[in-house]
Amino acid sequence: MIRRLVVPAELGADEVRLLLWYKAEGDAIAADEALLEFETDKAIVLVTAQQGGTVRRCFCAAGEWLKTGDVAAWISDDPSEPLPDDRNAMLEGLAAGFEQT
Amino acid sequence: MPKIFFREALARAMGEEMARDPRVILLGQDIGAHGGSYAEPRGPFERFGPLRVRDTPVAEAVTVGLAAGAAVAGLRPLAFITYLDFLMLGLDPLVNYAAKLKFKSAGQLAAPLVVKTTAGAKGQGPTHAQSLEPWLMNVPGLTVLAPSTAGDAYGLLKTALRSPGPVVYIDHKRLFPRGGEVPDEEYLIPVGSAAVRREGKDVTLVSHSYMSVVTLEAAELLAAQGITAEVIDLRSLWPIDWETLSTSCGRTGHALFVEEGQPVCGVAAELAFVLRERLPELRVARLGARRAPVSASPVLEAFVLPDAPRIVEAARQLLKQKVSQGEQK
Repeated sequence: MIRRLVVPAELGADEVRLLLWYKAEGDAIAADEALLEFETDKAIVLVTAQQGGTVRRCFCAAGEWLKTGDVAAWISDDPSEPLPDDRNAMLEGLAAGFEQT
Repeated sequence: MPKIFFREALARAMGEEMARDPRVILLGQDIGAHGGSYAEPRGPFERFGPLRVRDTPVAEAVTVGLAAGAAVAGLRPLAFITYLDFLMLGLDPLVNYAAKLKFKSAGQLAAPLVVKTTAGAKGQGPTHAQSLEPWLMNVPGLTVLAPSTAGDAYGLLKTALRSPGPVVYIDHKRLFPRGGEVPDEEYLIPVGSAAVRREGKDVTLVSHSYMSVVTLEAAELLAAQGITAEVIDLRSLWPIDWETLSTSCGRTGHALFVEEGQPVCGVAAELAFVLRERLPELRVARLGARRAPVSASPVLEAFVLPDAPRIVEAARQLLKQKVSQGEQK
């Protein structure tokens, strides 16, 4: 299964700035491992995947901006599962942790 | 053009002005080590330290009074009042003292302080969400600024910090979660200068602060219905850029004034009156909050405030009057 990570509205930001990726496309990620960090107007947010898999797409580079609701990444259970063409394809949501500091 | 957070635009403006002029100091609740309610003084505190970025008690009259006195004594204080609602407690030193000083002293004394505060609703309920800008516009001697973009916030706050007299600089809470483009090179935006955010020929939509963002959304909806709206962001509530307003209203013949606060004796009331004196044929309408306090309930908050669909409806009603009265377009 391919899962998508979406910038959640619950953080209270309209837009976030991506600070860094801990993983690159093709990397394996384990449950509770850090995937990326972004910044809201008030906090730095560390995003951890709560399901393991393979990072398949990173849709935004460090320093770029994402809006609430934007898809930030795709993670698949199987590293060779075919990917959809459309970034906004309806996919299962990735269970993720958003730790604010 | 680099995109930065709204608070970063403010931090940059404060940092540059503090570096340029050693008389600029910051005063306010939690602006020191805590970093401020919106995190905007964090950079200046780290750079200039607690002597020039000073925490004050939860006592707005003291904060503004201290700033006014320090201004007369030769400093250029920027006093943070977290919510415009609580500037009420600091109005005596601001209105009775600072705003009057140059008149009372025949221009011999000046109080170059800036009060920086936030207006508007974002879930904080009835006493932390008011838009009381017209109270301040009413006072001779006060300059009142209210940006809607990060780029304007930067340019206007810098201007405020070089201004000769008391300035109230007002942000809106809903602007902070947004990013905006701010040029790398330094610039100032003069007081009394409105911005045309979108050009159009059928109706002029006038607003300020966060309502400019909402009004631009409404203009987009109107365009889909074949109505082109010119959107003017006032930026400066006193002095007013009458020239830009008159030019646009003279061309469209229709002006809708949108404000987040109460319309009774509001921004629209003043603008519409003066513009009708200049342009007697101008058709005017206004849209503000419904006559109730802003609620802590998100449903009731949204019900009370103007939104894009209500702006569209008000603009269509204004243009319909023209048709029903049998006039030629």
